[in-house]
Formats: sequence, structure tokens, C-alpha cells
Amino acid sequence: MIEARELTKRYAGRTAVDRISFEVGKGEIVGFLGPNGAGKSTTLRMLTCFLSATEGSATVAGFDIYEQSLEVRRRIGYMPENVPLYPDMRVGEYLRFRARLKGVPARDCRAAVAEAMDTCSLAAVERKPIATLSKGYRQRVGLADALVHKPELLVLDEPTNGLDPGQIRQSRDLIRRLGERHTILISTHILSEVEMTCGRVVIIDRGRVRASDSPQSLIARLRRPGSLLLEAKTDAAPAREKLAALPGVEEVTAGEPREGWTAFSLSTDPARDLREEVHALAVKEGWPVRELSSRAASLEDAFVDLLKEEAGEGSGGEGE
Amino acid sequence: MRAFAILFLKEIRSFFLSPLAYVVMGLFAFLNGWLFLGMVRAMEVRASPRGLVHNLLSSGWFWMAFLIVFPLVTMRLFADERRMGTIEGLLTAPVRTSEVVLAKYAAAFAAYLVIVLPVLLFFAIFRAVTGEVSAFHGGAVLGGAAGLFLVGAFHVALGTLASALTSNPLVAAMLTFVLGMLHYFLGFLQAFGLNPGSGWAEGLSYFSTIGHIDVLAEGLLDSRPLVYYLSFSAVLLSLTHHVLESRKWRA
Repeated sequence: MIEARELTKRYAGRTAVDRISFEVGKGEIVGFLGPNGAGKSTTLRMLTCFLSATEGSATVAGFDIYEQSLEVRRRIGYMPENVPLYPDMRVGEYLRFRARLKGVPARDCRAAVAEAMDTCSLAAVERKPIATLSKGYRQRVGLADALVHKPELLVLDEPTNGLDPGQIRQSRDLIRRLGERHTILISTHILSEVEMTCGRVVIIDRGRVRASDSPQSLIARLRRPGSLLLEAKTDAAPAREKLAALPGVEEVTAGEPREGWTAFSLSTDPARDLREEVHALAVKEGWPVRELSSRAASLEDAFVDLLKEEAGEGSGGEGE
Repeated sequence: MRAFAILFLKEIRSFFLSPLAYVVMGLFAFLNGWLFLGMVRAMEVRASPRGLVHNLLSSGWFWMAFLIVFPLVTMRLFADERRMGTIEGLLTAPVRTSEVVLAKYAAAFAAYLVIVLPVLLFFAIFRAVTGEVSAFHGGAVLGGAAGLFLVGAFHVALGTLASALTSNPLVAAMLTFVLGMLHYFLGFLQAFGLNPGSGWAEGLSYFSTIGHIDVLAEGLLDSRPLVYYLSFSAVLLSLTHHVLESRKWRA
């Protein structure tokens, strides 16, 4: 659906996007992940024909973003960062205007708008001026705008920015549902979002692609030591030695005992789950246990590690 | 054309749904109504060699109100879209930039016409009330209307360009006002020490709004102002188009 080749955007003296190449297949949900100022928005703006690339090219649904910009724009539903809307228009009026502008024929307009409002649960605010809407509703109006002309591709720039946790969960579910009908490219710096909605992640930093893979294999690739948490009622020092002696345990640290309970944190071989062995040891030694859990590495860890790896190369870019 | 019609209607709606439109319309009708009355009174006292239409339209006071109307109808066209960020949604929709420019220009021009057309009603009301036929002739009213049309086309195009140059509607308004004023005063430079008959004075008289109106308001149709204002408007609009397109490479 998207094929970007060596896409580059240079401003006077600064390279915002540096030879980015990636692909998005039909039906995929791809997360565009990177810290603020990494070049995410600039890349999306080039793909949606809002900005022109300095070098390189890209096609969307087979159409060149520069030569066949109108065809490209017809097939994209784009929600810009911070969801700009006309504050003095009413929700229904705004969506009808946008639908018509994007080429929905007059006779299908009402149905298309009703469907988009239904998908984004906007029926309650149809007649409200946009200026009076809460942030969550504005975001949904932006999303309804993006999908009102039933585009093949949805491009969403930080769709959950500024929402509260409940709203973030709702919009995540919504995006997953939309993924059944549209190809989706989302940019975000919130990792849990990508981990839960996207089939693939493209990590970009300082204008370059650092990694492109499924969230699961990105995590696996990092091969961080797995870790276990044990909280038991026993003396710290002797227990620590016994835990460290277990096969597969690499390191054990013990916290300060509180009311007789001590928290132990174990680094272990990532390939093995040692909870059973630790439990067996505790039973053998007769330690009362009130917590035994394993912490899996998250995409967050993968992300931070990747950026750390690169940090040696020089100072980071700034700005949007 | 589809996008043109949709954008045009949207602009018209948003202009006439704002209180600004009615404040401007009211003040404009009031100011120029007052001036019209003054002109009529003056002609009662002292005979005038030229008609009422000419006397009104060649008055500097008359055009002052216009120079304020132009920024007001154009300042928000693009500057507001840039300030709010909605320009991103607008230009990533499948519409040509030229359609956007023309639709916005046409909407602002239509708003301008609605605001200034009451001036022509003054003459109709005057004739209906007084039955006086010698104060002006119909050709002068038509010529005057052509003048309003042409001068408006030019200044609204100027305002459209100014609005595309900035993301602050007030800056766009000031730019439109100052440039419009400078252009208007080019016609007065002759009065400020330029030797009449010199090359400069001759040249400047071609740019002079006052000079153009002088001719039109007598009911004479001259092709020179027609070509001048229409071609200048076209140049300003194509510059606007270039400004919007070049944004893709800069910003």
C-alpha cells in the first residue's frame, strides 16, 4: 500500500528525514514509533502530499506522491497531529463538508457521514459546535473526518495524544476495529499503544529508520535477561546465596527487609522460566512467600535500548 | 469545479454566520450614507459641474471605508487556516490548490459586493424620493458600478495574497490595508510636487485609482482600467498560488 524509497526532507541546514525506506502492505496496521522530533510527522506529511520530499520518492496504492498527488490524496484518510478542526462549525456540518470535499457524491453524503459518526460514536454531538467539544470528542471527529470517504489507507498522526487513559483504551479498540477494513499507519511515541494495536513497528530516530519488525520479535531480539520478583519472610543474606546457587540465575539483589519480609530481584536466563524452581526452593527452606512473579521485557525496554545504542553517534535532533 | 463550489459555499457561510459581516455592512452603509447626504447637501448649495455619482466616487472619504473593508473580507482566508492548522486537512484533501485559491477569492469578492452594493441603492432611493433626474444619469451609475467591481477585484486579490503570506490574520489585514492605501495614493503623487506633464506624472496616472474612477464615474467605459485591474488581479492570484505551493518545499 505504501512504498517509501530513500525519502528525504531537508530544511535549511537541518535534515529532518534522512533517506527513509519502508513498506506497508495492504491490510497491515503499522506503528511509526520514535521520540518527539524524530521526523515522524514530517514523513507522514510527505506521504499525504502536504510537504514535498527533497529527495527520494514514495508510492501510495501504486500512485507516485509527487506526480499523482490527487490520486494519492483520494485514497488516504489523514488525521494530522493535534487534530485541527474549524471551531465554528457543527460536527455534522463539518463532516458533510469534508465528505463532499473529498469527493463523496451528494446523494451518498448523508449515509457516509452517518456511518462515520456511528463508527466513532458521535451521534450525541452531531449538532454541537466543534469549539464546545472535549478533547476526546474532537479526536473522534478527526478520526471520523479521516474515514468518511472510505479511504484504503488511514494515516493517523499521534491519534491518542492528550487523551485520558479511558479514552486511550477506547480509541485503541476503535483503531483495531478499523484495521479490519483499512490499512493503517499510526505514528506515536506511546509504546503500549503500538504493542497492543500494531502488527509491525517501524522505529525511527533522528530521521532514520532504526528497526522494522513485529513488536514480539523486536522484544525477543533484544534478549534482555528475564527477571523474577520474589518476596519472602526470611533473612536476606543466606537466602540470597541459596537463590543465586540455582541453575539459570545470574544475579540476585535483595531489598531492605520490612517487617521481616524481603524482596529479591533475580536476573535469569531469558530462555527459561525459573518460577517453578524458585517456588520449590522456598518450600524446601520453609520461607513464607507472598509474591512470586516474572516480568517480561516490554517494547518500552526494547525502544529505550535501541535509542541508547544509537545515542553514542552524536547529539539528537530537535524540533518537530 | 465540484471542489470550487463546496469551498465557495463554506467560505460564504462562515463569513455571513459571523457577527463581523453585519458590523462591517452596517458601518459601511452608515458612513457612506452620511457622505452621500453630505454630497447632496453640497450640491443643493452650490452647482456642480459634474454629476452626483462622480462627486461621491471621487471623494477620498468614500474610498477610506473601502480600504478598511478589503482587509476585513480577506484577512482570514488563508491566515486563519494556517493559524488553526486546518490548512493541513484542506490541502491533503483531493483538491487542486488553484481551486482553493479561486474559491476563497470568489467568496471574499462576493462578500465585498454584498457589503458595497447598498451604495448603488442610494442613487435609486435618491431618484425615487426626489424625482430629480438632473443630478446624475444612468450611465454614470453603471460606470460607477464597474469601478466598484474592478477596484474590488484588485484589492480582494491583494488581500488574498497577503493572507497566504502569514499565519496571523491581523498581519494580513495590515498588509492589505497599507498596500491598498499606497496603491490608492499613487494617484495623488502628482499633487505632491511632481511636475504635471513629466514622465513620472504621466506614468503614475496609469496606476491612479482616482484617475480611473474619474473616467468611469462619468459613464465613460474605458478599456484601460478594465485590463489594468483584471490583469493585476490575475497576477496577484497566481502569486498566491505560488506562495501556497512553495510552502511544500519550505516549511
